[in-house]
Amino acid sequence: VRSLRAALARIAGLFSGRRADDDLRAELETHLEMETAENIRRGMAPGEARRQALLASGGMTQAAESVRDQRGLPWLEHAAADTRYAIRALRRSPVFTAVVVITLALGIGANTAIFSVVRGVLLKPLPHQDGDRLVYLRHSIEGVGGDDITFSVPEVRDFRTGMSSLAGIAEYSTWDGILRVDDGAVRIPTGLVTGNYFEVMGLAPVLGRVTRPSDDGPKAAPVAVLTHECWTNRFGGDSGVVGKQVILDGRSVTIIGVLQPAPFFPDRVDALLNMVNSDHHMGAAMVEGRSHRMTQVVARLAPGATLPQVRAQLDVVYARMRNQFKEAYDPAAQYRVAVIPLHEALGERAKLTLWLLMGAAAFVLVISAANVANLTLMRGVRREPEIVVRSALGAGPGRLRRLVLAENLVLAVSGALLGILVAIGGLGLLTSLVARYSPRSNEISLDGVVFGFTFALSVAVALLLSFLASLPQEGGLASRILAGTQRASRNLSKRRLQRALVVVQVAVTVVLLAGAGLLTRTIVRLSAVDTGLRTEEVLTMQVTQLSRDEARGNPAARAAAVVRLQEMQREIAGLPGVLGVGIGSLPLRRSGIVFDFRAEGRSLAPGEATPRAEVRVADPEYFRVAGIPLLAGREFEATDFTRANEVGWGGAVAIVNQAFADRAFPGQDPVGRRVAGFDVVKFEYGEWLTIVGVVRNTRDGGMDAEAEPVMFRPSASGGLVIRTSGDPSSVAAAATRIVRRIAPTALIEHVMTVAQFKERGLSPRRLNAVLISAFGGLALLIAAVGIAGVLAFSVGARTTEIGIRMSLGADRGRVLRMILSEGGVLLAAGLVAGVVGAFFATRLLQGLLFDVLPHDPATLISVVVTMAVIGMVACWIPALRAARIDPAITMRSL
Amino acid sequence: MTPLTDKLDVQQGTLALMILRTLQVLGSLHGYGIARRIEETSGNRLKLNYGTLYPALLKLEQEGSIAAEWGQTENNRRAKYYALTPAGRKELVRETKEWHQTAELMAAFLGPWAEAS
Repeated sequence: VRSLRAALARIAGLFSGRRADDDLRAELETHLEMETAENIRRGMAPGEARRQALLASGGMTQAAESVRDQRGLPWLEHAAADTRYAIRALRRSPVFTAVVVITLALGIGANTAIFSVVRGVLLKPLPHQDGDRLVYLRHSIEGVGGDDITFSVPEVRDFRTGMSSLAGIAEYSTWDGILRVDDGAVRIPTGLVTGNYFEVMGLAPVLGRVTRPSDDGPKAAPVAVLTHECWTNRFGGDSGVVGKQVILDGRSVTIIGVLQPAPFFPDRVDALLNMVNSDHHMGAAMVEGRSHRMTQVVARLAPGATLPQVRAQLDVVYARMRNQFKEAYDPAAQYRVAVIPLHEALGERAKLTLWLLMGAAAFVLVISAANVANLTLMRGVRREPEIVVRSALGAGPGRLRRLVLAENLVLAVSGALLGILVAIGGLGLLTSLVARYSPRSNEISLDGVVFGFTFALSVAVALLLSFLASLPQEGGLASRILAGTQRASRNLSKRRLQRALVVVQVAVTVVLLAGAGLLTRTIVRLSAVDTGLRTEEVLTMQVTQLSRDEARGNPAARAAAVVRLQEMQREIAGLPGVLGVGIGSLPLRRSGIVFDFRAEGRSLAPGEATPRAEVRVADPEYFRVAGIPLLAGREFEATDFTRANEVGWGGAVAIVNQAFADRAFPGQDPVGRRVAGFDVVKFEYGEWLTIVGVVRNTRDGGMDAEAEPVMFRPSASGGLVIRTSGDPSSVAAAATRIVRRIAPTALIEHVMTVAQFKERGLSPRRLNAVLISAFGGLALLIAAVGIAGVLAFSVGARTTEIGIRMSLGADRGRVLRMILSEGGVLLAAGLVAGVVGAFFATRLLQGLLFDVLPHDPATLISVVVTMAVIGMVACWIPALRAARIDPAITMRSL
Repeated sequence: MTPLTDKLDVQQGTLALMILRTLQVLGSLHGYGIARRIEETSGNRLKLNYGTLYPALLKLEQEGSIAAEWGQTENNRRAKYYALTPAGRKELVRETKEWHQTAELMAAFLGPWAEAS
């Protein structure tokens, strides 16, 4: 209490000012008078009495100063005075200040922006209640597409009964829904969840209620919980939304609540629905099929349970399952389950890219700090006389150091403030990049922690600069004055430091540019990848007329949809400029429907995994219009469509791609052979299909993914592919009108050319490469300024020397070469260090590269050449100035 | 006058206790009076300059142990008088006790350690 009271008194003392000073002066004067009077009484002469009293006082001014220090908070007052002084001093050198503040703003701004993303996406604790207790179970197998095959309902049931270390296990199925809106329909991403989902996840509603176990089962009414984002964007944050009915997949669904803001997992969704929203999820195939896997699992650790315990228990339970149901777990596929903390699962895809960006930003900060350090060093030298005068006037080393620190703090904090503006400007772009990688991009914000980080960064920079700053050496005043009168060029250690900083700048720039170069080359390589199509100038259009349940269970609706699609095909084919229209799965896109299959007359080698293939559809026009080359056999013909079996396919024929042929019949002619797909609903292989043709592989999983086995079935469903004589986008509007007229409630998606679709797949990587390249360019610019600055300073310091050399006969060329070689040595050292650094650093990039080696010589060489050329240009400017020195003028000023 | 070398600087922390004690014995007193009293009590071995005394007085005032008031001296000079507050009295008792304990402890330490060695 006493110290608190004292602290309050001192804070109050900050403002007591003049009156307290007057009081103090009167008090001290009284003391002095009393002592003088006493001395007189002892027999001194009045003058001597006062002199003795003054001597005994120990100095009136010092006493007043000590009392003042006790009265307020001296450090605060000194800090304020130092800051005022620093601002005044900086205002006198506006160019220096501007350059430093802008350089720091770029460095700090880049770091602030990227850190806010890293924090939002990777570091921030989950908003879920006890979110660190949540785990995601990942089921995976060997082979392409086997990263996350999800679980079947019977598997989840076994976990529920066997896993005592998990307090709750929630099921989630990705389930796009088609929402009826005023003008047609839109596809909205939704998730089907069990009633315990929200309780397990620890999420609460902001409005209405969330689903609960009573919403499970076939008798429950279909309900939807809106995500916060959907509620704000689609429903304008209307609080009356609870209780409203919407038409989703042709079903009337009641909105029962709005969820609190939370990261989307596993996908970005607009609404979470109870299971009864899908007939399929109520059906026997889903509920009883052990290999019918379409359920993702999130679970909560039981109180007291640890991750290793859960993993150990899961191994036991899962091994039991595999033993009991051998047919559902092909040993060759190496079925396994991983338990991953939810926050890690959320950040997984964004991690590499984000740490890469953070590293690049840190490099930029290192370069800008080095540059600022150099500028400060030069300014310090120019200010040496001033510092000498100050210390001659009584400023101690402590005081001088404080002044320097105050100046650097003012610079760094100004840089940070401007940097925050830079960060605000760049954050939108970054967020849109990260949204491709992480469901948590909506949590990115410049909050207190980010500002704390920025502030800490700027203080660190200020401390570093102050540590480097030149102060007069300890010692007597005379030696300090002497030191101050010497030319700066004699201070060898300082110049060494400057040169070292330039070398570091060049090296770091080379590393950054190498990374940028590799990523850019990756993009170039990816864009150049052969898609497998004859042309990318084909317009595509996904037309979805049926809800999933209609498509599965309503043959009449399906037949009507086919008729409508063929009507659209005919009408669009009649548009001017249209050369052909095909119906089928859109090119370069995965259908996501994958079956196990077997080839007739061929048994699997021991340990060989069951082959899997993706199923797509095509009509007779499709391959020709889409530009997918036929390699063997024939295309589909009208006769293939005369029969429609119960699943809606045409005849018992199939066209396969090269990858399928290689997998099913290696080294043989597949045409005429038969294959069968495994029907997970009936849990048996379907009818034999005769392969009538083989088509070329296309890059359906992205330009960097190998082609997977694909089987085409004859069916007029999916979407439209349109080939035109001119620009395909020119018929987009007319074609959309036709589709809309024939099927007013259909969902129309992906109205774009194949080339546009391909570019869209590349854009996150392109943006990533652009960002790193921007950092590289920034670094290059800053480093160039750094070299030029240091050389210019060196020229300034050596003016006399150069003058003497010239008057002794050195010509301009010689002087030019002298300065250029001075810069060239630094540049060369930096280049060597940079190449070595790049050699190690770029290995970390491996996962982001495609068809480029981490130490691609062409990239490294072009980076080195770029840096060398820019560096030499930067050296040229001060060198030219040196060459223009007039010896006559220099000699006269000696 | 005693030679300069014999004069002691006031030890850190002890001055506050001396001031409190002086005010307890003599009641309300001005700065000069306090300084004189402390110097006399020390047999003139202590020398208090203003820069030591007045910050200490201000600190005690800030902590609420003493209160200050302007008043008149016998010679009709305006002077600031300091007096103990109730909190100051308690503080004096506490600090006196502490000091005695410290002094005993130090005496034990610095005394002969015959038994130990």
